[in-house]
Order: sequence, then structure tokens, then C-alpha cells
Amino acid sequence: MAFLDQTLPNGLRVVVEAMDSASSAAGGFLVRTGSRDEIAPQAGVSHFLEHMCFKGTEKRTWQEITIGFDDLGSTYNAFTSKERTFYYGWVRRDDLDAQLELLADMMRSALPPDEFSMEKNVILEEIAMSHDQLESHVYDLIHEKVYAGHPLNWPVLGHKQTVAELSRDQMHDYFSSRYNPANVVLVVAGNVRPEAVLDSARRLCDRWPGGGPRPARVAPPGPGDGITLLRLERFKQQCLCRVFPAPSAVDDRDTETSDAVASLLGGANSRFYWNIVQAGVAHSASAWRVEYCDCGLMVLYGFCEPQRCEALSDALRREAERITREGVREEELQRVKNRRRTGLVAEAESPFYRLVQLADDVDTFGRPRGVEERMQRIERLAARDVAEYLERWPITGEGRLFSVGPRDWPVGAS
Amino acid sequence: MTAPRDYVHRRLDCGVEFALERLPGRRLAAYDLRVLTGMVDESEERLGLAYLVDQTITKGTTKRNGQEYLDAFDAIGAQQTSYVGREAFGFRCQCLPEYLPQSLALHAEALRTASFPEEACRVAVELAGQELTALQDQPDELAQRMINRQALGPRLGRHPLGQEATIARIGRGDILDFWRGQFGAARMQVALAGPFDADEAANQIDQAFSGFGTPPDDGRRPCPIEFTPGARHEHKELEQQQIFLAWPGVSRTSPEYPAERVMLAVLSDGMSSRLFTEVREKLGLVYWVGAWADQPRSGGMIFVGASTTPQRCDETHRVLLREVDRLAEDITETELNRAKVGMIAKAETHGDITRSRASELSSDLFYYGRPVQQEEKIRRISGVGVADIRRYLKEHPRNRLAAATLGPRALKG
Repeated sequence: MAFLDQTLPNGLRVVVEAMDSASSAAGGFLVRTGSRDEIAPQAGVSHFLEHMCFKGTEKRTWQEITIGFDDLGSTYNAFTSKERTFYYGWVRRDDLDAQLELLADMMRSALPPDEFSMEKNVILEEIAMSHDQLESHVYDLIHEKVYAGHPLNWPVLGHKQTVAELSRDQMHDYFSSRYNPANVVLVVAGNVRPEAVLDSARRLCDRWPGGGPRPARVAPPGPGDGITLLRLERFKQQCLCRVFPAPSAVDDRDTETSDAVASLLGGANSRFYWNIVQAGVAHSASAWRVEYCDCGLMVLYGFCEPQRCEALSDALRREAERITREGVREEELQRVKNRRRTGLVAEAESPFYRLVQLADDVDTFGRPRGVEERMQRIERLAARDVAEYLERWPITGEGRLFSVGPRDWPVGAS
Repeated sequence: MTAPRDYVHRRLDCGVEFALERLPGRRLAAYDLRVLTGMVDESEERLGLAYLVDQTITKGTTKRNGQEYLDAFDAIGAQQTSYVGREAFGFRCQCLPEYLPQSLALHAEALRTASFPEEACRVAVELAGQELTALQDQPDELAQRMINRQALGPRLGRHPLGQEATIARIGRGDILDFWRGQFGAARMQVALAGPFDADEAANQIDQAFSGFGTPPDDGRRPCPIEFTPGARHEHKELEQQQIFLAWPGVSRTSPEYPAERVMLAVLSDGMSSRLFTEVREKLGLVYWVGAWADQPRSGGMIFVGASTTPQRCDETHRVLLREVDRLAEDITETELNRAKVGMIAKAETHGDITRSRASELSSDLFYYGRPVQQEEKIRRISGVGVADIRRYLKEHPRNRLAAATLGPRALKG
């Protein structure tokens, strides 16, 4: 599989994957900035800025932007994470150029002052919505404690106070420093002519003002040990998480193995499914990889009725010890690989799925990766790799325990 | 002119209704297998029973235990899921084409020879109880459950998990009775998409399900909607208030359905839609707002929903109703055409995904009893004009409304 991967004179990188069997095309602008690139008083500015990029440019009002997308019949949206912001649209192949023009225009947002306050209200509603979800509290608490004192610790949405106090001028400064060609990648996948996409990129983005890459990121310290309890009496479930250090997203050696361990423990037909859920201990138990460019976590977690905390905690620990002590059988690992293979074939059908994966690959590894390459990496995994991985990245011991919900458990925890 | 899709549709000797969309060159196979029974076939005393059948039907067969059964799917890399709905169980799968026969055989094995181990049934009841507890932490789903009961009635408005008291009564015997009484080839639809020969695929399915079950009928008897207008509020400590409104719409097979579908697109598809623009963009009242239709076979309901902080819920409610009412007065050709373009374009782009093709074909079988060509769908949508929308809204006004709110305070007025 060949990619077009070129950088324009102004620093904008363009990555294109041609998919001749598709009838559609998807394109997006990856901005290599996220909530970890903020300063604490401006927590949430990346996400707020993502919203503001839909609110108007020199050429278009917000109505013209949204009408532009809908006139194309685009499947579109944007998202902000801890490390990146991504704006995308998926259209019929003949509409790609119009889609890229619209997205490129949005990247030069006017950040209309008269829309700023209104959009702030929308984000405050989004924050309120997240507070009604137990999972959001768990996610935010883990980051708050594990990455205390580091920019990874605050929520992507920011806090009510930081969002409320953010000014348009502060956002504009952030926008100017990050939304420049050195920090942006145009990614396209689908039934396209790569050279035509490159021509479009030159035409649409050549005049973007220059700028440098975002400031370098500093790695956080390790997660440490300890127990954190957040008592939230209005919820009915308790969530328990055992958190351990894990490879970063760019750890070429261990990233695939780490994914496989998470799947073996907590995926479909997994050890947690049979030994925790189907044992009646908890209705939900899984393993989740948190991965950033310079650090990572393995989170073993479950949701249970409050009176089952002890049983769930013991079960999570027991399964972690068992996989470490006994390893995995080759046929068990092969089942994970078989499922991944089918998933990759499904991904290869869709310009939209490939677009999202390409953006992730370019941002994480600095280059696009084809489906075949990823399949080969997965196929190479062996049971001994899992055993060696667990020696380097143990999941036994207490780790950091988080307990979130109505019950004061473990008793005496902070 | 859209190229016709290559469909095959037939009733097999075994009784299964089979449809295939041939997609030469695709590297994936996807199918939806429906059994036309669901929550509507539960008794009032055993609500949640269909869900428990879904949870336990793969927990063992006469050939192997539950873990061995799922291992067999994994051995061929087949990704499978299942669900229970009001009027159908769904068993979905995507796999590499060369593994289709094994995948179908595995589904046949569970549907025909499930062993429903005693312990698995006991655990499923236990877990369902835990999931009912967990449901209390999902305000949007709780509010949807409230409005469904009002909008669709006591049978169609059921929630898969039933109620604590009814789930607790269910035992293995109930699960077996439901399965034996309701499952059979005569009630099955299989919608397949991929690079297959129709006769070969049909023969595989025919052999797999030959002689399977003797349900009392084909599962297509309609269950009527029982709509109850009125407002209901449940108190819950939340940061956002959930607001759900519902009123009668039309069935999927109604000649007015295209007008309803386009109307909903104008109201809610995309960021330029009425609700997104008026409730969120112009007033900043919400993060989430939407409108959609829900259609059992016998009819349809329109839903409008939003979540907002309590001090804004009255204004949000007013604006939601204002926008629904205003549509009849001032819908424009421009926004109508934009909505239609969006629907047609998305059907094309999403058609790159084999899984989507199988789902669409399955939906056609369920509602229309046949595959429906894209050209026919496009023609129906394209033919909707402003006058059709206005007539639809006049004949299906929202004057009889069900409203469900969940949160710290009830709506005023």
C-alpha cells in the first residue's frame, strides 16, 4: 500500500491513502495540540477552540459552515483529546475538494467575538452532561491523581471555572500559536487521486500564516501507588480501577502486546468476561489502555453493586496474578489475533475508519501505517511476548486503586 | 441514475426468509439473522425474559460449553453480537468470506441446540438485576424508558431488562419455554452481504435450519401501539434535566413515511438542522438535542429530546415545541432539498461498509418483506415536497403529546 506523504513549503504535511475500491472519500485536519498542551488557568481551551472553529471565518458565518457540510451530505464532526484535535468530513468522492475547502477555511477561524459567550454556554452544558456520567468521573479522577501537577491531569472539557473565565483573546493567542502549518497535518483516505489532493492542499493552505510547532511536551512522573476514593452518593454503582504503568503510544516494542494483554484480560470472550462477569461478581469488567506520546497506563476495572467491591477487587487482582504466573496459551492469543484480523479488514473498507486510523498513526508514530503492516505486527505476537511484556510492565501488586461511587470503600481511603 | 444493487430474495424450503446482496470483490462477509419474536411475547409477570434468552442462548449447546462456543467464533475471527428488541432477536456477524459456512453453522448450533445450563441461567438473572441497578446511573436511558412506556404502551414500550420483581421470578424453565415456543425457521430472516453465490449461500442456510422449530406462527402479527399522552416527571439528582417528548407518527410502510423522514431530517439531521440551530447554536441552551422516529411494525412515534441544566429546562421545552410547530409554517425548499441531499449522500458513503449493507437489507426485510432498491428509496425521498411536509404535519400534529422529564425539577406548565 503506497501513501502520498509530503510536506508543503509552508510546513503543512499532507498524507493520502488511495482506496480504489471505495466510492467515497474522507478528509480531515489533524492539529497536534490537545488539553495537555494547555496551561492550568486555560484548561479546556483546546476543546472550546474546536467548537469555535465551527462558528465563523472571514468567508463564512457559522450558518454557512454548517450548511456547507450539510449541502455536501457529509458525515462530519470534530473531537479534542489530551494530545490532538481532529476535524473531519466523509463525503462522496466527487465532493472531496469542496469538503477540504470548507475544512481548510475553518482552520482559519475568525473566532467571532459575538459567538464566544453563546458557545461557552454550550460547553458548560457539555460539562454538566459529563458530570451525570459515572464513567466521566472515573476517567477524570484517574488523570487528576495519576498526573497530579502535570497538564495531563485536567479534563479535556476543562473545568466550569476555567471555561467560564476564558477570554476570546486568550483563545486567539492559543489558536495563533497552534493552528499553523508546522503543527497541522491534512489526512485523506478514499477514492481519490493523491496528486489532486496535494494540489488542493497547496491551493487551499499555501497562504496560511506560519508558525512553529507546539512547545515540547514534558513526560509526567509514574503513577505511583496508593488508594483514592471518591464518594458520589447519587450513583448506584461502584467503579473500581487498578492502575499500573504501561507503554506509551509510541513504544514500538510493546504497544501491540499491550493491546493484546488488554484484550486477553478484558475484551470479548476474555478472562474477565468468564471469570468475573459470568461468575456473577460484576456486570462489567474490562481492561483499558491509556496511551500518550510519552507515558501510558493499564487500567483493570469493573462496575459493580457497592456491596460487591471486595469480590470485584479480589477478582481483578486474582486474574492479573494468574496471567502473570501462568502466561497465556498460544491458541488464546491466536483468537485475539483472529478477531483483530477481521477488524482490520473491516477498517480497510471504509475511508472514514482509515482516515481516523491514519491520523492516529501519523500523530503517534510520525508516519502512516497500512492495514497489512498492522496485520503483520499482530501476527508476529507470541505467548512468550506476553510473558516478557508482563515482566517489563507488571500488573500485579496493588498498583493505584481507585474507587468511585456511593460506598466508602476501602474504608479509610482518602 | 443509481446502479441497481444485486439482490436475491427467496423463502427457503426450511422456512427461513433469505436475502443476499451480492458484492463481488468485497473482502468481508456480514449478515443479520433475525428471529421474529421479542419483548412483546413476554408475559407481564416475566418481563425481561427475552433478554435472558438472548444472554443464555450462547452459554452452551449440546456439543460444547459456552466458552468453547465463543472460542469457535474466535477461531475463525468472526465478530458476532446479539440483541433483543421489541419484535425481533438479532444475531449479527462479520467475518472473512471463507468462514461464512462455519459462522452460519455456529449460529444454527446455538439457535437449535442451546442447552441453557442451569448455572448460566442463574447468573444471567443475577447479572440482569445488577444491570437494572446500573441503569439508574444512565439518565438518558432512564428517561427514554419512561417515555417509551407512555409513547408505545405496555407491550411495545418495554425495556429489555424488565423490572426487578419480574426478572427475579424467571428461571431456566421459563427461558426454555420461551425458546421452544418462539424460535423456529419459519420466523427467521437472514440478510447477507458479501461476495457470495446466492444458491450456495441459500443451501448452507437451508441445511443449517432445516426442521428447526415449530412456532405457532411466522411472528409477523402486529402488536398495536398504545399511546398515552400526558406529562410525567421523576425526580433524580442530576446536573442536567432530561426532556423527552413523543407523539404519534406513521409506520415505516405508510405512504407518508418519506415525508416524515425528510421532516425529521430538516428538524434534526446535521448542524444546520432546525433544532441544532435554534436550541443550541442561537440560544446555547443545550449540548445535545435531537428528533427521531421509532417504528414497531404496526406504526410509529416521533420523539424529540434534549438535556439541559434545570434552570433552562422550561425555556428549552418551549423552544423545542416552537420549532416543531414552526416547521409547518415556514419550511423552505432550500432546507428540504438540503435534507434530501444529505440522506441520499450518506446512503452512498455508508454503503462502502459491508456491515451497513447487511443491516440495511435486514431492515428492508423486517419492514417491507423484500429488498428495496436504492433507486426506489431515492425516488421516494426526492419526491417529497414542501406541500407534502405541510400536509404531513397537519395530519399528524403534536397536539397530543407525551412528555417525560427526569431530573431535579418538573417543567412548569
